[in-house]
Amino acid sequence: MLTAAVLAFLFVVLFPFYWIVLSSFTPKYELFTIPPRYWFSNFTLENYQVLAESIPLARYFVNSLLFAAGSSVVSVAAAFLASYALARIQFRGANVVFIVFVMSLALPQVGGLVPLFELFKNTNLINTYHGLVMLMSSLVLPFTIWILVPFLRQIPYEIEEAAIIDGARLPQLFWFITLPIMRPALVTMLIINFIIAWNELIYPLVFATSGSNKTLSVGLVELAVQPTAGGGRPWDLLSAMSVVMIVPILVLVLFFQRLIVSGLTRGAVK
Amino acid sequence: MPARAARFRLTQRMRRNATLIGLLLLPAIGLRLFTAVYPFFNTIWLSFHDWNPAFPPQQFVGLKNFQALTRDIAVTSSISFTILFVVVSTLLEIALGMAIALILNRAFFGRGAVRAVNLIPWAIPMVVAAVGFRWMYDTQYGIINDLLHRTIGVKVPWLVDFWGARAAVIATNVWKSTPFVGLVLLAALQGIPQDLYEAGRVDGTNRISAFFYITLPLIMPQIVTIGLFMVVWQLAAFDLVFAMTGGGPGFATQVLAYRIYQVAFMALNFGYASAISMVLFVVVGVASVIGLALFRKVEVSL
Repeated sequence: MLTAAVLAFLFVVLFPFYWIVLSSFTPKYELFTIPPRYWFSNFTLENYQVLAESIPLARYFVNSLLFAAGSSVVSVAAAFLASYALARIQFRGANVVFIVFVMSLALPQVGGLVPLFELFKNTNLINTYHGLVMLMSSLVLPFTIWILVPFLRQIPYEIEEAAIIDGARLPQLFWFITLPIMRPALVTMLIINFIIAWNELIYPLVFATSGSNKTLSVGLVELAVQPTAGGGRPWDLLSAMSVVMIVPILVLVLFFQRLIVSGLTRGAVK
Repeated sequence: MPARAARFRLTQRMRRNATLIGLLLLPAIGLRLFTAVYPFFNTIWLSFHDWNPAFPPQQFVGLKNFQALTRDIAVTSSISFTILFVVVSTLLEIALGMAIALILNRAFFGRGAVRAVNLIPWAIPMVVAAVGFRWMYDTQYGIINDLLHRTIGVKVPWLVDFWGARAAVIATNVWKSTPFVGLVLLAALQGIPQDLYEAGRVDGTNRISAFFYITLPLIMPQIVTIGLFMVVWQLAAFDLVFAMTGGGPGFATQVLAYRIYQVAFMALNFGYASAISMVLFVVVGVASVIGLALFRKVEVSL
C-alpha cells in the first residue's frame, strides 16, 4: 500500500520530465505520430542544434544567469542589513516595520506594472541590468526578511557583545562575527532567491524588451505563443529549451536539497 | 556575563544611533518603496484616469473605468475563473499535499531520494510546466489523450474545450504547487511530539482516528497559513495561463493578472488596466482578511 502510493507519486511527478526530455531528443517528424512513441527512437541532438541557431540561446542563458545571481545577492544583502536592524536593535516600531515588510508580500506583482513601466521609462531603467535586478530583489525581499529575522534572533547576544568590548566596530562585527554565524541561512536564501529569479517571467517580459536583454523564460514563452505557419507549436524546440532551463535548477536542488527545505519550511513552521 | 545584561548593553548602544538604524534599513525600504509601495498607490490614482501612453495627457474620468469593467465580459469572466482557479487549486493542493506529507513522513527505503524528488516541481519554472503540459494535453499528438484512448477509448479536446481547458490549467497548477504544500505540511507533521500518539494508542485510537483527533487539530494553524499563502499567491498567477492557454478558448481560462497585462501592454490602455488591478487588490484584500480571521480562530481553539 505504502509502496504503491510512493510509486504512484513518483510516476506523477517524474513522468512529465521524462516526456519533455524524450521529446527533446526525438527528431521533429517523429514527435507527430499517432500513437506517440514512449521510448527513445532515433536519438538526436538536432533539436538543440536548431534551437541554438534560431534564437540567441547562449545570450539568453547568460542573461538569466546574471539576472538570477545579481538579484539573489542584492536581495540577501539588503535583507540581511534590514533584518539585523529589525531583529537586533529593538528600536521603537521595529515590529511594525517587520510586519509591514512581510505583509507587502501580498501586493500582486502584476498590479504595479503600469506605474513601474512609466517610472522606469522616465528614469531610463528599461532594458538595464541594474533596473531588472532592483525589481527582482525587491520582489523576494519580504520573504527573505521573514526567514532571516527569526534566525538572527536565535544568535546569542554575548558573542557580539564580546566582540564589541574587544573594540570591533559594526563592519568588523558583521564581517567576522555575524556573517559567519549566519552563513547557513544566508546561503539558503541565496539559493532559493536564485531559483525564484531564474524562473521569473513577468519582470523580464515587461522590462527587458530588447533582444540582448531577454532571459530564457522570455525566450521560452515567445517560442510558445508566437504564431506559426501551420498553427502548431514547435514542440521539438520548446522541449529542448525546457531542458536547458531545468538542468541548472536540478543541479542546485540535488546539491542543496537540505538547505532549500530548511529555508522553505522555516517560515511556515515557526 | 549574564545574557540579559549583554543584550541590554548591545541594544542600548545601537538604539541611540538613529543614523545606524536608518542606514541598515535604507536599501530594503528604498527598494520596496520604489518598486511596490509607490506603484501600488499610483495604480489607485491611475484607475480614475484615462491614459494611453501614446497620447500622453492623463485625463480624470472619475468612475468611468469602473463602470466599464462591470460590462466587460473579458473582465467579469476573468474574475470568476480566477476565483474558481484559486479555490479549487488550493483545496486540491491541501488535500493532496497532506497525502504527500503523510507518505513522506513514514519510514521506507529511499525516502531521502523521494523527498528530493518532491522538491523538483517547486523548483522548476512555471513556464516550463505550462509548456510541457500544453504539449502533453495536445488533442492529436498528446500523451494524455493517448493514454486515455488506450485505457478507456476516449480522446478529450483538452485545450480547445471550455471546461477541458479549465480542468487542464487547474490540474497543471496543482501538479506544480502541491509538492511545495506537501513539504510545508511534512515539516508541520515532524513537529508533533511522538508521545501524543503513544498516549492515543493507550486510549485505543487507530491510525485513522489518530489522524483526525491528534494530527489534524495540531497542524491546523499551519494548514490555514499555507492555504492563505497559496490563495494570495495564486490570485496573482500569471505565467501559467500566459504560456499554456493565452486565456482561451474564448475567455475560458482568462485570469485577472493576465487580463491586466493584456489591457496594459497590448491594448496600451493604462487607466483601464489600473482599474482592473484595483479589482485584484480588493480580491486579495478580502481573501487575506478571511484567511487571517480563520487563522485566529484555529489558533485560539488550540
